Formats: sequence, C-alpha cells, structure tokens
Amino acid sequence: MKFTIYQESRPGRRPTNEDRIAYSYSRDSLLMVVADGMGGHLHGEVAAQIAVQYITEAFQREAHPLLKDPFLFLSGALGNAHHAILDYAADRFLPEAPRTTCVACIVQDSIAYWAHAGDSRLYAIRGGRILAQTRDHSRVQRMVEDGLITAEAAIHHPARNRIFSCLGGASAPQIDYSKKTPLMTGDIIVLCTDGVWGPLPSDVIPRAMGSGNVVQATPALLNQAEARGGDNADNLSMIAIRWEDNYAEDTLGSVSTKTMPIDSFTTQMEAFAKARKGTPPLPNLSDEDIERAIQEINAAIRKFSK
Amino acid sequence: MPPSQANVPLPPGYQLEEYRIERQLSLGGFSIVYLAFDKDGTPVAIKEYLPNSLALRSEGDALPSIAEENVATFRYGMKCFFEEGRALAKISHPNVVQVLNFFRANETVYMVMQYERGRTLQEHIQKHKGEIRESFIRTVFARLLNGLREVHTHKLLHLDIKPSNVYLRNDGQPVLIDFGAARQTLSIDTPLLKPMYTPGFAAPEQYNNTRRELLGPWTDIYSIGASMYACMAAAAPQAADQRLDRDLLVPAPKRWPDKYSRQLLETVDWCMRLNYLERPQSVFALQKALADKERSVPKPTFLGGLRKHVRNLMK
Repeated sequence: MKFTIYQESRPGRRPTNEDRIAYSYSRDSLLMVVADGMGGHLHGEVAAQIAVQYITEAFQREAHPLLKDPFLFLSGALGNAHHAILDYAADRFLPEAPRTTCVACIVQDSIAYWAHAGDSRLYAIRGGRILAQTRDHSRVQRMVEDGLITAEAAIHHPARNRIFSCLGGASAPQIDYSKKTPLMTGDIIVLCTDGVWGPLPSDVIPRAMGSGNVVQATPALLNQAEARGGDNADNLSMIAIRWEDNYAEDTLGSVSTKTMPIDSFTTQMEAFAKARKGTPPLPNLSDEDIERAIQEINAAIRKFSK
Repeated sequence: MPPSQANVPLPPGYQLEEYRIERQLSLGGFSIVYLAFDKDGTPVAIKEYLPNSLALRSEGDALPSIAEENVATFRYGMKCFFEEGRALAKISHPNVVQVLNFFRANETVYMVMQYERGRTLQEHIQKHKGEIRESFIRTVFARLLNGLREVHTHKLLHLDIKPSNVYLRNDGQPVLIDFGAARQTLSIDTPLLKPMYTPGFAAPEQYNNTRRELLGPWTDIYSIGASMYACMAAAAPQAADQRLDRDLLVPAPKRWPDKYSRQLLETVDWCMRLNYLERPQSVFALQKALADKERSVPKPTFLGGLRKHVRNLMK
C-alpha cells in the first residue's frame, strides 16, 4: 500500500474549532475520517471528538491488517459512534445529545469504500475530474440537484445549513454508502467539511487536485476557502490522499506500508478541528451533454455511411 | 440492488418517433432490442438504453421510473451507450452492424441499427450440434475477423465477442453485433453498470477490472478462440477465471484430433492461451493462421513469454 497523505484543520474565524479529523493505517488498510460537530447544538466538538475517536479505535481493533468487510466495518463504526454520543449525553443528563456530521473512508487492496451522514464530503478525483462524490444530507442541496433552485440561490437559502442526517441527535442517522471504487495510480481522495467546500466554486477542488500534489494543494485550498469565507469563515478541515501503486515513481513524502509489522498502526489525530454551509452539484450528464452526444453520433453516421 | 427485475418492453405497435415497434428481439441487463419498421416499411433493430438495475418500466407505461438516487448513475451509464454509438457510427463494414440513427425519447436514448435477417451463430451451433465442419469455421471466422480488424483499426475493442453476438446473415456473411461492452474506460467505477461478461468467452484479463491497460486486441482474440471452440464443442468452454484457478479445459488438439485439422485446432488453442502474451497479438496474425492451412502455429515458450512480460512492465 503506497500513498501520500495530508491533513489539516483550522478554526477559520470562529472562536472554537468543532471539526475533528483523523487518519490511521495498518500495513494493508487505511482509514480516514472527518467529523464536523454542530455548532448550533451543545458540545458539537464533543460529538465530533467521540465519533472520530470511536471510529479510529474500532479500526485499530479490526484491521489486522485487513478489514474483513469494509462496508460492514463502516456501518458498525458509524452506528456505534452514534450510540456512543447518545450514551455520553445520557450519562451527563444533557437536555439534548450533541451532534456531528461524519464521513469515513477505507482504502484497502486499492479499493475505496466510504460512508457518510450529513454534509461533510468526500470526492474521488481522477485526472482533475470528479469520479464520485458523496451527496449531502441537506434538503437545500437536494433541491439544487433536482433543479428546483439555483446554486446561487442556495448560497443564501435560510435553510442551507440544515441537514437531515447526523450522528448523535434524536433520530437514527441515515448513513449512505459508496460503491466499491477501485483506485488507480494518481487518484485523489479528499474528505472535507463544509467550511472548505462551501465557499469554493464546485470545480475548484478537483482542479486544484489535478496537480496530484496533495501536500501543496490541500493548504492552498484551505487558504482560498478561508479567504472567501471572510470575517465569518467557518472551521475548515481536509484530508487528502494521492493513491500510488508500487510501480510508481518515488514521491516526496509518500508513505509505503510494505515494511510495517502486521499488527502496528500509525495514527494521526488532530486535537482540534470544526465546520457548516454550501453548494456544488453532482458531476452529471446534462441535457445539453446528451443532445451534443446525439448530434455528434448522427453527424458521424452521416459522414461514415456510404 | 435486485438484478432479477425485468423491464417491460414497449408494446407491439408503439410509435417511437418515426419507427413503429413490431416486437422485442432481445432483453439484456443493459438494454432492450426491438424489431421495428421505419416510415418506408424498412425493418430496423432499435436498441433502447434501459439498465434494469437503475430504471424500471412497468406494464402500460412508456416512461421508465428511475429512483432519485439512481438518476446520476443512469445518466452516467448513458455515456457508455453513447460510446457504443460513437464507436459504431465510424465503422462502415459488411461484417460489423451498421448504425442508422440515434435519438432521445421516453427519457432515455435509442440506437437504430440495420436489421439483419438470419440467425445468431449461437442458434446455428444449437441446430447443428457437433456437426459444424472445418470449412464453415474457417470461412465464417475469416470474414468475421475482417470486421474485427476494422474495429481494432478504430482503436476499439469489442470485449463481448461470443456466438450469440455473431449474426449469420441469410447470405452467409457473419455480422458482429452488440458493442455494448465496447467502452474503453467508463465501466470501472460503477458496479451497477458493469458490463456482464459472458463466462466462457471473456478473456482472463477482463476479470481484473483494475488493470484495464492489459486489454488489447488479444482480449477479443481470446473470445474468438473460445467461440471457435464453442462451434466444435457445441457448448461454452470453461470460464477463464476458473481456468486461472484450475484449468480443466481440454485443449482443442487433444479433444478433436480426428475431426478437425491439427492446424485449426492449434490455432484455437493459440487464441485461448491464458497468458495474453502467448496469443496472436493482432487480428492480422490470426487471419494469416486461419487462411494458411499449412502454416504452423507458434508454440508457447517460457522465455519468450517472460521476455515480453518484462518488456511490458518496463513500458
């Protein structure tokens, strides 16, 4: 397993950072997790901390060195993290359980698996273009995707920060799972909170990652998002990896796990991190794209048929 | 995802733009093919993009229902369908099915192709179980390879050659049909749209989705070999992924030494080597072997294979 990884979390202009991020890897499996504690709720950072810590610890218990079933792991880890947050609230007689978004990704055997609740996002990027991404659990975002409102209108929509799924909270989270996504050399996976994707136009993240240099692109993107966020910049957090296969040229600062003992882990958990808001659409084939493809094909038919 | 659901075809008599549907010809996981007539009464085959894992049409409806979460994937899969259209539109060859039109209706897309009268090679094999002669195999496959060569010239791979995708026209000419798998890069990340390789005819390298760069003319050539084998055996050969695990395929030269010429049997065996480097590397090389009954077929050499393999790794 060979990859380059970079993670960073900043408070933005907020007094506290309620984002939490972590990655952990064994010899053959990699976990990345990003959580955004919800500021409107009591102890948002506590919920995010519990989620990240719980999921990381579960990973260290189970990835020896491979997870048997990554989706089953994600389902168990996110579900149990939700209950751990509820238990925390119950133990302390909190009037309301704290809440957090969560997106977690496993890569093993060069296949990526991810799951999320809320509006922290994952992008899988190949050649500067989005290969796959999570769909926010946000009604406003869904309205944009359905063409009911414009992306522009969404930025100012009063309910833009409302999400309908999270860990903690009164109702059980809706957790969505990715497809098994095989990675090729040079593929990039980005996990980030809405403090990063919210202020940025939708094509900025894939384009910036097109360079393949996650170590430079990640802080550059955070700078950009923070600047655009202005005086009200939210907490910003991001983890990015560049996946490399074993034949690829040696990249500066890349990690090779081949020589790691089977039972060891390397874990990097940021102590402070947080975020909330935003709007880019799915990589979709638009009506115009379809019309153009059909015209192209019909032109070719006329040109090449006798 | 329940793959067992079947889509209801458009009913006979349905007016689809300028075409009138006559009946359904075939139903695949990815599409439905209809026989229809254009406004001059000329029969055409119309292929409707309708992956049943994503879109379902109920009895009495023309529009399929697509779950909200599947809309993006459905549209993405359309790209694959366009790839097939693009691929075929550029090829005009008597042994490759001809595309006549492409249009959008019922919230999906349709490809109109020339309708060929005849039957598939699969049906021919079923009808003449075990009595297919060497001259038939040589003639049909030599012509089919002319078409395949044209396909490869356009930098395309068919990737799903099998007897049921070879149509035998009434005049005896074989026509290569169904280029649904002939997409080069799109299928990797969408399991719901993954082409359904037919066990027995797909090359071993097709089972390894992450190494697309291993696919080449030799991949289609494996399928050609397997199709020739199927003509002789009247059944599909053992699937390549199982062969990799435990090769139970009786080589053609061992199985039919008294029925077909040694040279033809060795050619089949040559096409079906598990190591793609040991197969004919181009259609032209295979055509030469099929055309010349005297020509000897290269034996696999360990060093030769190794040398090529090393060269490939260095690329």
